[in-house]
Amino acid sequence: MMDRYTKLQLVGIYAAVAVFLIFMLLPFFEMFMASLRPLEHLFRSPYQFWSDDFSFQAYKDMWVTVPLLGRYIFNSIFIACSVTGITMIFVVPAAYAYARLEFPFKNMSLAIFLGVNMFTGAVLLIPLYRVLRTMGLLNTYWAMIVPGVAFLIPTGIWLLRSYLEKIPRELEEAAFVDGASRMYTLRRVVLPLAVPGLIVVSVAVFIGAYAQQFLFAITFNQTRELQPLPAGLYEFIGYQSVTWNEMMAAALIGVLPVMVIFLFLQKYLVAGLTAGAVKE
Amino acid sequence: MATLNLNAINKSFGSAKVLHDISLAIEDKEFVVFVGPSGCGKSTLLRIIAGLEEATSGSIVIGGEDVSDAAPVDRGISMVFQSYALYPHLSVYENIAFPLRVQKMEKSEMDERVKRAADILQLTEKLDLKPGQLSGGQRQRVAIGRSIVRNPKVFLFDEPLSNLDAALRGDMRVELSQLHNQLDATMVYVTHDQVEAMTMADRIVVLNGGQVEQFGTPMELYHHPATKFVAGFIGQPNMNFVPATVLETTGTLTVELDGGHKMSLPVDTTGVSKGDTVEVGIRPEHVTLAEEGLDITVNVLERLGGVSITYGTIGNGTRFCASLSGDAPIQQGKNMRLSVAPEDCHVFQSNGQVLRRKSAPALVA
Repeated sequence: MMDRYTKLQLVGIYAAVAVFLIFMLLPFFEMFMASLRPLEHLFRSPYQFWSDDFSFQAYKDMWVTVPLLGRYIFNSIFIACSVTGITMIFVVPAAYAYARLEFPFKNMSLAIFLGVNMFTGAVLLIPLYRVLRTMGLLNTYWAMIVPGVAFLIPTGIWLLRSYLEKIPRELEEAAFVDGASRMYTLRRVVLPLAVPGLIVVSVAVFIGAYAQQFLFAITFNQTRELQPLPAGLYEFIGYQSVTWNEMMAAALIGVLPVMVIFLFLQKYLVAGLTAGAVKE
Repeated sequence: MATLNLNAINKSFGSAKVLHDISLAIEDKEFVVFVGPSGCGKSTLLRIIAGLEEATSGSIVIGGEDVSDAAPVDRGISMVFQSYALYPHLSVYENIAFPLRVQKMEKSEMDERVKRAADILQLTEKLDLKPGQLSGGQRQRVAIGRSIVRNPKVFLFDEPLSNLDAALRGDMRVELSQLHNQLDATMVYVTHDQVEAMTMADRIVVLNGGQVEQFGTPMELYHHPATKFVAGFIGQPNMNFVPATVLETTGTLTVELDGGHKMSLPVDTTGVSKGDTVEVGIRPEHVTLAEEGLDITVNVLERLGGVSITYGTIGNGTRFCASLSGDAPIQQGKNMRLSVAPEDCHVFQSNGQVLRRKSAPALVA
């Protein structure tokens, strides 16, 4: 493909990118700025964009204001990792089956999975609450992990299936002719070749799990020690005042793991999401 | 090693019938090539032998044992795929050793077998590399190596050379023939390239539309094609087919070719009668320049040095190709006269069946 643009077009493209990026990043920037200011400066009028008393004090104080903050961050990561791990255990064989095997209602069940994806968890909160209560899972880690897994499996299957379909069938046929069983082929041939795809799906699931845990946490869990960070942030809202600067600092620390994962796995994500788009 | 018998194999995909009652008896240590145009069912037939597809009906017997319902690995076959199907994440060694790993073979014996295969295929230096670091020909050899180590009774090749460039294909052809001699194995080879078929095969199966047109040695196919399809498929350049009318059927077959030339051809005349329309098959290499004979208009002349190939027309625009000597005194756009020996001509009925030639060159084994 040729990508030749006139100067004017280039300016237009970069302007559009800039607008988009600013729209996306400004909240983060504002969060960061807010976290650096002493609380009283946040309400100063007129609003000062730049002030000379920036400090990282809030990053220290937040641990005191909310003593369980460390625990919340751990919970967030723990829940997201558990959801990711359990989801992958279900998704890998399912996606392989959808990619390679023929069975009744294959396309229909795939369509249903897509349909489930269109619901947000919020629609199903009340029935889910009853299910979890019946199973005695309320106020445990499972209350946040089980629904998380359930909602992410369809996405995972759809993503991984398309990746697995890209692996040449002949490789599996060759292994089959040589006497390898399905499981052996999956383990020795398919999965090693699907590593980039597995990473993409894991990251997508992890991010999904990280984002959705708030809803499940505030609905299905009342045990403070088990709350993930998004729910724990509420503790910065006190009876008298809200320590916004510390809350912003804690939120930034909270999104840090996701950002780090993104940075390290970026090349897989880009390669994985576009994989199969063109014939190689 | 083993014989391979196919008994009345039929295969349908849904309502589409792709193979019709295929029965073949392949001898021990024979190199048999399935050849035919794309879509003729040759690959499907090979996959049925391999056990990757199930025949709708019919049975497969390898080495006297009915394996129709056996898993591929229990059939004693191994297969080389068109795309090589190498595992990109494994080294050459591991690729070749894969079938042995599946069998959980002991390390020392596996090592020995892989080394031996690598030795035969000149891959010893490459064992630690990944397939991605190899050339096309080397990859092909790795794929063959993987099929050798299991000591199968029958080797199956699915268009293994079609991904290689022309020069390499020629080399690999020779290597495969040598390998066949070296291994003394029964081999079944699928290709759409008649040159590969002619050069490598002990016997060729010509498939067309899911049916066996003819099964015979390359020279049988060349000198005694059973049908017009086989005659047109085997030989390079392709055989010319000139429409003709039967004038006389006693003794020899006397015909008048398109363009008015009359010939008496020594063929079995059973089944044709005076006035019938037939086609006379003339190979481009069997004609010579002459004073009397077929009137050809030369449209295109290709001088290749050793030979000159002409593309022209005869009679009412029937295409006619001739292969003449390199320095033949002919010119593009001019007419020429060609003669052909009557015993070199083939005659096909309107249903495509041949009239048996009474005199033909002795078959070269």
